[in-house]
Amino acid sequence: MAMLYVHVPFCPTICPFCSFHVLRPRDDLVGAYLDELGRELGEVAERSAGAAIETVYLGGGTPSQLTDAELGRLLDDVRRALPVAPDAEVTLEVHPGHVDRSRARTWEALGITRVSVGVQSTSDDALRRLGRSHDARTALDALDDVRGTGVTLNADVISCVEGQDLAADLAAVVARGIDHCSVYTLTIEPDTPFARRGVRVDEEVERRAILTAAEVLGAAGFERYEVSNHARPGHRCRHNSGYWAGESWFGVGPSATGHEPGHVRRTNPGFEAWLDGGRGAPTVVADPEVERLFTGLRRIEGVELPDGRWDAEVDRLVADGLLERRGRTIRATAAGVLVLDSVAATFL
Amino acid sequence: MDLSRIRNIAIIAHIDHGKSTLADRMLELCGAVDPRDMRAQYLDSMDLERERGITIKLQSVRLDYRDHVVNLIDTPGHVDFGYEVSRSLAATEGVILLVDAAQGIQAQTLANCYLAIENDLEIVAALNKIDLPAADPERCCEEIERILGIPADQVLRISAKTGEGVPELLDAVIERIPAPKGDPDAPLQALIFDSHYDQFRGVVSSLRVMNGTLRTDAKLRFMQAAAVHPAEEVGCRLPTPTPFRSLGPGEVGYLIAGIKDVGEARSGETVTEASNPATEPLQGYQEPKPMVFCGLYPIDGDEYPRLRESLDKLRLNDSSFTFAPETSGALGFGFRCGFLGLLHMEIVRERLEREFDLSIIATAPSVAYRVTVRGGREVTVDNPSELPPMGEIEQIAEPYLQTTILAPSDYTGAILDLCQSKRGEMIKLEYLSPERIELGYKLPLAEVVIDFFDQLKSRTQGYASLDYEPAGYQPGNLVKVDILLAGDPVDAFSSVVHRDRSEEYGRAMTEKLRELIPRQQFDVPIQAALGGRVIARSTVKAYRKDVTAKLYGGDISRKKKLLEKQKQGKKRMKAIGRVEVPQEAFISALRLD
Ligand SMILES: Nc1nc2c(ncn2[C@@H]2O[C@H](COP(=O)(O)OP(=O)(O)OP(=O)(O)O)[C@@H](O)[C@H]2O)c(=O)[nH]1
Ligand SMILES: C[S@@+](CC[C@H](N)C(=O)[O-])C[C@H]1O[C@@H](n2cnc3c(N)ncnc32)[C@H](O)[C@@H]1O
Ligand code: SF4
Ligand SMILES: [Mg+2]
Repeated sequence: MAMLYVHVPFCPTICPFCSFHVLRPRDDLVGAYLDELGRELGEVAERSAGAAIETVYLGGGTPSQLTDAELGRLLDDVRRALPVAPDAEVTLEVHPGHVDRSRARTWEALGITRVSVGVQSTSDDALRRLGRSHDARTALDALDDVRGTGVTLNADVISCVEGQDLAADLAAVVARGIDHCSVYTLTIEPDTPFARRGVRVDEEVERRAILTAAEVLGAAGFERYEVSNHARPGHRCRHNSGYWAGESWFGVGPSATGHEPGHVRRTNPGFEAWLDGGRGAPTVVADPEVERLFTGLRRIEGVELPDGRWDAEVDRLVADGLLERRGRTIRATAAGVLVLDSVAATFL
Repeated sequence: MDLSRIRNIAIIAHIDHGKSTLADRMLELCGAVDPRDMRAQYLDSMDLERERGITIKLQSVRLDYRDHVVNLIDTPGHVDFGYEVSRSLAATEGVILLVDAAQGIQAQTLANCYLAIENDLEIVAALNKIDLPAADPERCCEEIERILGIPADQVLRISAKTGEGVPELLDAVIERIPAPKGDPDAPLQALIFDSHYDQFRGVVSSLRVMNGTLRTDAKLRFMQAAAVHPAEEVGCRLPTPTPFRSLGPGEVGYLIAGIKDVGEARSGETVTEASNPATEPLQGYQEPKPMVFCGLYPIDGDEYPRLRESLDKLRLNDSSFTFAPETSGALGFGFRCGFLGLLHMEIVRERLEREFDLSIIATAPSVAYRVTVRGGREVTVDNPSELPPMGEIEQIAEPYLQTTILAPSDYTGAILDLCQSKRGEMIKLEYLSPERIELGYKLPLAEVVIDFFDQLKSRTQGYASLDYEPAGYQPGNLVKVDILLAGDPVDAFSSVVHRDRSEEYGRAMTEKLRELIPRQQFDVPIQAALGGRVIARSTVKAYRKDVTAKLYGGDISRKKKLLEKQKQGKKRMKAIGRVEVPQEAFISALRLD
């Protein structure tokens, strides 16, 4: 089995905290973008040797920046090039300002099974601080509009924004009937306006936010299945779970990364070079086991330890109360999740 | 070669008075270096010397000047490298004593001048830096006459920067410094005054022929080492090493004899000819006694054998440090090393890292204590962690220094205050002139080791200079302070301090370590304890949160690399029990502000 990630680099405005590969909306470039994407899907088809595609993720950027006709063409191209399984999970990332009831129905009709809305917060004040181009009302309405359809509904929330009441934000999105919630602590990425302005996030605030998210969402019937991801039973994101489980995926679009069968990694160049036919060179992942452990530990249910490796390290981390071990399965404890990067670094 | 046409000299002075710069002008004047290759302080050839702008090793060079051969040795001025000066002087008949015309006589001017007098050497005194606006040649000449007894009218005035007066100085060298004596037909006696290990050629020695003739291909006997080797190459540094067929009495040059065993051609060795040996070796050198000690440990325990080998090779080039194996509970196998001072310690550590590609940890410097235990037995302890339990100790005596401080008289009060606070005892206070004083103080070596010199400099705006020599032992009210990391005592951090200062020391130490030890996955309590009693504590708080919020597919390899890089940084750390401690933590231990 394999997965497909499609990077759509267009956004309505560029948020000052974001480090994804994005462009301002350029209607004139969309045609060329879709043409090139079609070509790249053809290349992938040659490499994938007919492997069934179990999940498709349209991310970005903001895929909802494309018109529904453009989205339809994109999905057609995907299906024409690759054998997408009939029960595939197909996720669309959307900006709240792009959502209305009729578009939501169209998305469902196009075969989208999961919509992820970039709510970020339900407080206008926090949204302003984040430099977002939508307000709380728009975000909540967007959730309402998608909920009416049959797709799985996710809300992205950013925590640790000054003045934000995280519990209230989470209660508000839960009340709109979401099935899934990703709660990310605000990360100051290098070379962003936030980094240049010297915005800082206090570690203790982050710690409390992580605990609050698990608590509030847990009480509302959500299961935490990854550091930042919570789902109602049966609604986990299969695509992201695949990343953390070490599955293979193909990546198309500018800056997209793929981790193809045989542990071949490719990372595409940025928009201009990609549009000129530039593609990432294949490199073989040196020690895939390390990577599998590194990402697998993010899953709350844990990961299988390969035979004969890292037993001493694991024993030490267990003694420190950072890992739990049952047979060959290891998982981070509540304390371990909070310092997971340094735990994972032990295996590098 | 005609002995009357040879002059052997060393340039001696206080640090930074311009010895190496003067050597530059002499190299130029004698056409020894291609102008295209010339650079400032040409003879300071080690990277460390160039980076720090000081001379660490003596350097000899053979110059041709006015039908004469001048063998010149440039020496270091820093007090920690005094052994380089004394070895140089045994190869010469005279010295140029250089005095900075803006600074006047400084502590090592005196010390080095006395050394030359003890060696019966002819002294040519010169005032340097007369180009400086702040130069005061009149006052300096007066000082030299009054303090050193050298008549003012014999003191030359030069600028090593502009070259002014340098030809006259060389003329004076030829006129005033006696030619060497020696019998070319007597059995060979040559004194090795410096050696280093060359990875391709083995031991390369600098030597001075006293009697007889040193010939290429001769079978040589190294008298102290009782070893015989053929003279593979004999030559002179011009300054480029250049082979010569032979060197006669009075000449200075180098010798390569294919020696791989670094024990065999040490400084102070006498070389003679195996077929016609001298009956007596020359008088060798008295190796100086180390004053400060520290443990050197490889960060990677597997490097221990290589550290030993490197210490052996380095000691050939610098026999003023000592080493002996020791083990530490915290650091494993290493060596207890003795040095002439803190700068010396730093230089040796850096040379080991650079020249031998080692990563090492140096523990806090200590002095050697004389401990009387119950029953009257006395033991010497140069590693605080080896101090017997306090209950068994009757008395601890610590080494003292007789220090000489020269400074402008305006700073007298500030210096007295400082010496008092360092438990000093005044021996002498003398006005050298209305503006300058000489102070004699007896001070505990341990106090001087810590930061005395830095403080002396800062309290006198850099105008005071310091020289010292060992002055025996005195009992003191000393105690051992242990440092515990996460509950376990770390022997490498133990220290001996004066009881009155122990709490202050404990607080400063625990605070300093709190800053130096990076956060870990768990809280790390740091305690200072005297006997069993905790006298200070601090805690390195664990990470509150250290986890990437969003890890999507495209981010995995970037994030992994980032963590790998952080982990690489940890390679410079030593795991003590469960705690990662960076290299600096060990050496900073005694450097408390
Ligand atoms: N203005 C001026 N500066 C000088 C003169 N001679 C040396 N200097 C400067 O003084 C500093 C020290 O010179 P060095 O030649 O390295 O002194 P040194 O005596 O060899 O120092 P050590 O070997 O470390 O004891 C350098 O910055 C030189 O450029 C001079 O005649 N005039
Ligand atoms: C590609 S965006 C999703 C869709 C859309 N572009 C939007 O912003 O509405 C993915 C999500 O990553 C999260 N995110 C982006 N930058 C972040 C940052 N610096 N710190 C925390 N979360 C961030 C936001 O929650 C965002 O919704
Ligand atoms: S957060 Fe979303 S909308 Fe904002 S710049 Fe990033 S990808 Fe675009
Ligand atoms: Mg010098």
